[in-house]
Amino acid sequence: MNKAVRTLSAAVLFSVVMLGFSGCKGGSPSTGSGGTPAPLADEPDVTFKDLQGKDVTLASFKGKVVLVNFWGTWCEPCRGEIPILISMQQKYSPKGFTLLGAATNDEEKAVDTFIHTTQFSVGGQQMTMNYPIVMGSDDISNKFGGLLGMPTSFLITRDGKIAKRYIGSLNENQVVKDVENQL
Amino acid sequence: MKFAVRFAHRIALCALVLGSVAAAAPAQDSAAPKNPSEIVTTHSFVSLDPVPRGKEFQAAIVVKIATGYHMNSHKPSDSYLIPTTVTPQLPAGFTLAEAIYPAGRDEKFPFSPDKPLNVYSGSVTLRLRLTADNSVALGAATIPVTLRFQACNMSACLPPVKVPVSLELQVVAAGASTHAAHPEIFSAKPTS
Repeated sequence: MNKAVRTLSAAVLFSVVMLGFSGCKGGSPSTGSGGTPAPLADEPDVTFKDLQGKDVTLASFKGKVVLVNFWGTWCEPCRGEIPILISMQQKYSPKGFTLLGAATNDEEKAVDTFIHTTQFSVGGQQMTMNYPIVMGSDDISNKFGGLLGMPTSFLITRDGKIAKRYIGSLNENQVVKDVENQL
Repeated sequence: MKFAVRFAHRIALCALVLGSVAAAAPAQDSAAPKNPSEIVTTHSFVSLDPVPRGKEFQAAIVVKIATGYHMNSHKPSDSYLIPTTVTPQLPAGFTLAEAIYPAGRDEKFPFSPDKPLNVYSGSVTLRLRLTADNSVALGAATIPVTLRFQACNMSACLPPVKVPVSLELQVVAAGASTHAAHPEIFSAKPTS
């Protein structure tokens, strides 16, 4: 086995291992290899617009645990999890938690109508969305690392670190447990 | 030889590391949908070859949807859902009589267990009834078409997308001989 082959093999080995570790970044920001918690990524410096066109910075929520939920009125799985989100807002907002719904690929007017008129069954009660809603954008999504699908949610710690990313419909038990761990 | 054994051990170690990393990723990441171009592929067909001026012909866009995915039908269950549409950008002299969409299928999904959604999945053929009038130049012609859809898997959705599709045809003089092309597509009843 000559030196060139060894060098090539080592390069392949290095690439494969690096690929593995880079794959880790796409997973939970709180989980590294070997069970050692990886440092949490800072939340992105983003400014949303609310439905009145006013700026809402993500940094303005510092001190609270925030679940940023990227959703759309056209997205059925997003709608399906709204009762869970309403319930979480009801239960945990007094403890320093807030949901932040970022409507994406949507029009402000459609979102405004939706949030004021659509009723969801939450614990036997009919309720409208009870948490702040802002407009998302491709630029904002990109600052979160790009959205692979909707809904996508990010759990942000009180000190502005991304603790976890959830792609697709939320698992209620898991997200409640994760939020409670942060409170 | 010794090196070959060591190399095999290293590769096995790599596989172990990669396996561990994959296992450490949160389960919900597996819900991530693919890129739209991986979910949907399109092929277009024209019912006459060539197409005589003044004679109605059809175009078919066969949409293959990846396993595990669906898209809203042309008449989705609710007004807020984005319908699948095909929109031709007709060159001068071409007219559209009708776009023909098959009925979707009512299916229930984990995110909508009580309310079935009207969707296309698997393969769906969308058709256009078209005519080229006497002002259309003889010879090769291209009609650009936009396919708009919004696809989901069992737990997540992709944003609505527009995919360009191209219809290629040969235009000949009115009354010129022609033959039916792709009867397997055009003689079938539109289905999803």
